Amino acid sequence: MKLLSLLQTAEMADVMRSEGKIYVVVAGLLIVVTGFLAYLFFLDRKVTRLEKEVENHKK
Amino acid sequence: MRKYWWKFLGAALLIFSVFFGFLGETPRREILNETIRMVYFHVPMWFSMMALMISSLVFSVKYLRKGDIRDDIYASQFAAVSVVFGVLGFLTGMLWGNFTWGDWLPKDPKLIAVEVGLLIYSAYFILRGSFDDEQRRARLSGIYNIFAFASFMPLVWILPRLTDSLHPGNGGNPAFGSDMDLKMRMVFYPAVLGWIIIGTWIASLRIRIKLINETING
Amino acid sequence: MKEIKSLIWKDIKLELRQQNTINTMVLFMVSTIFLCYISFMLRTNNLEGLTWNTLFWIILLFSAVNSAGNSFRKETAGRHLYYYQLAGPGAIILAKILFNFLLLLVLSFSGFGLYLALLGNHVADYTLYFIALVLGSLGFSSSLTLLAGIASKTDNSSGVLAVLSLPVLLPLINMLIKLSKNAMDGLELSASYDEIMTIFGIDLVVIALSYLLFPYLWKS
Repeated sequence: MKLLSLLQTAEMADVMRSEGKIYVVVAGLLIVVTGFLAYLFFLDRKVTRLEKEVENHKK
Repeated sequence: MRKYWWKFLGAALLIFSVFFGFLGETPRREILNETIRMVYFHVPMWFSMMALMISSLVFSVKYLRKGDIRDDIYASQFAAVSVVFGVLGFLTGMLWGNFTWGDWLPKDPKLIAVEVGLLIYSAYFILRGSFDDEQRRARLSGIYNIFAFASFMPLVWILPRLTDSLHPGNGGNPAFGSDMDLKMRMVFYPAVLGWIIIGTWIASLRIRIKLINETING
Repeated sequence: MKEIKSLIWKDIKLELRQQNTINTMVLFMVSTIFLCYISFMLRTNNLEGLTWNTLFWIILLFSAVNSAGNSFRKETAGRHLYYYQLAGPGAIILAKILFNFLLLLVLSFSGFGLYLALLGNHVADYTLYFIALVLGSLGFSSSLTLLAGIASKTDNSSGVLAVLSLPVLLPLINMLIKLSKNAMDGLELSASYDEIMTIFGIDLVVIALSYLLFPYLWKS
């Protein structure tokens, strides 16, 4: 019985989770990801501005 | 390409997949343990690479049929971003594989297929570099793109299934479906879609910048 | 069909008269085999099976890549235009592929003979090995002809041809080495069925692609 339950439990990061450290990991990653996405938005707006300027120039 | 709605969608999907990628529940598996979460990051790289390569192919075909140089710009930029995703997929795969299979660079047919694929697309860019005339460059690299894609596809999909492979779903291993339960799929599919959208966004930015350059110089 | 036959026949007659392509190819092959002979056989008497096989295919691959460029280089621009007006592009590319196939057949069989003579014989099943040689020649010829066409439009055509063709030919070479290793080990034909079908499939797909894509190539 005990052998069966041992076989079914693989080692996972339960310790990390129970101490709340996982939230630090997620927070850190979210900062990185949102930073990256914000940069993409910034670049996108810059390109749009350039496109409008080129269009005005052509006129 | 200036519309924002799909970009917000991609961003939201990405944030969703990172958040639930770590906090969501995953099945408990020996050997894989927590690294099963790599599925949310490693596999979407490949899907994005494929989606971008197919887009590149479509625009190459479009160029050969119509001769509009803008289609060639689309084709080459999609190819460039797809190579970036291919390299990222390769690096994440090496990292994951080292901790589960014990080897940074095992002799697995899927890996070798990707290595050859990256070589093929690098050759595409070398070919482009050896032309000065726009139209010639577009036409010949378009032909090579179609030819190379058709040689790459059987590599990546068919060969690994025929031979022994470490990857799940190939060569005698059960497909990943058996390891991913419904809860994982709820995070996995959004992650794939999110990364494809982000990849397309990056490619669209590159295309727009190139188009601006063309207008200024042309 | 008639156009294809006459185009091939024209190339064969040209080749028999001037012999420049076949001489270059054969000399390259002979020199490389001799180089391997000096490097390997003078030190050890026996070359291990896997090395023997792989070395042969690598030599064959490089000889093929070298000779493929010639099919587009030797004709001047004016004559090219003349042919394109007489026969459609489809006929031209098929004729070139078949001609290169014949050239590579000659090359691979004679190379194989010389290789056996100088570097020892490890083959158990000759028929299967010959099948590998024929399928390989067809595969090389079909990929290399279109790629040579693309490369001929650039300035550094032989360099570009090598860069383009090696990655594309890698999966084909992999299958061929596997098939010929089976032939060496004397496995039954049925065991290699998968490989033969795959190689043949790749050959057909590449020929079909070349046929479809060549018209866009000759527009310049």
